[in-house]
Amino acid sequence: MAETEVLPDIEQDEKTGEKSSLEPGWLVICWNDPVNLMTYVTHVFQTVFGWNKQKAETHMLEVHRNGKSVLARTTMEKAEHYVHQLQKYTLHATMESES
Amino acid sequence: MKLLRTGKTGFVFQLGRRERQLLLETLDLYPLVPVSHHRLTRKDDNVQPDENQRLLEESLAEQRRGNREQVQAMLDKPHRFRQVKDGFEFVLAHTELEWLLQVLNDVRVGSWLALGEPEQGAEPAVTKKNARYLIAMEVSGMFQSFLLAALGMSESPEWAG
Repeated sequence: MAETEVLPDIEQDEKTGEKSSLEPGWLVICWNDPVNLMTYVTHVFQTVFGWNKQKAETHMLEVHRNGKSVLARTTMEKAEHYVHQLQKYTLHATMESES
Repeated sequence: MKLLRTGKTGFVFQLGRRERQLLLETLDLYPLVPVSHHRLTRKDDNVQPDENQRLLEESLAEQRRGNREQVQAMLDKPHRFRQVKDGFEFVLAHTELEWLLQVLNDVRVGSWLALGEPEQGAEPAVTKKNARYLIAMEVSGMFQSFLLAALGMSESPEWAG
């Protein structure tokens, strides 16, 4: 299975100092809740990110044991896409800026 | 419920009569999770991108309409369940199994919300009004487990603790 897409770093806008929506720097986070089945969460990670089972299980266990797992660091648009996908499966996922 | 066979076209499960009735009653509850339950960012974040939140809710609402139509199609077409000696054969294509997992999880999470979001292992405060959600949460989880097992997903003893 394919690994998570790695997007190239894009330089910060030197004039404004603001981040563009294309700049990597957004985190996709999955939060623990006591209702989703562990096998279901693993399956969803495999489906949404194209991860192999081992990588999906690693992130699932991180969610389960630590309360959350950062699933991707990417652009704002990609992060929104991933959050939409995860929420379609009723997982508790959010995005936040690294800054 | 058990997996009879799987192939390129999908899966064939065997269901008992009562199991089929339980599945149909569970699917009839969909959707249960309010669209507004999903947030793009944490609620305690200062910046809430309202436009993006609106788009998220529209996207989820659209997806739910599609799922609801498929659920209704399943409920309206009982021949999907072929009667056999000990119950029914239940045929699902790969894509149908995927959306059925989503639908069942919506019912499970929505039931959990209706029960007051009890912690794992905690007894929810069950009343006459919400008792059906406790049943729906357990039954949807049971069917999810069967479907996930058909995909080769099973819990590992190493996950405990």
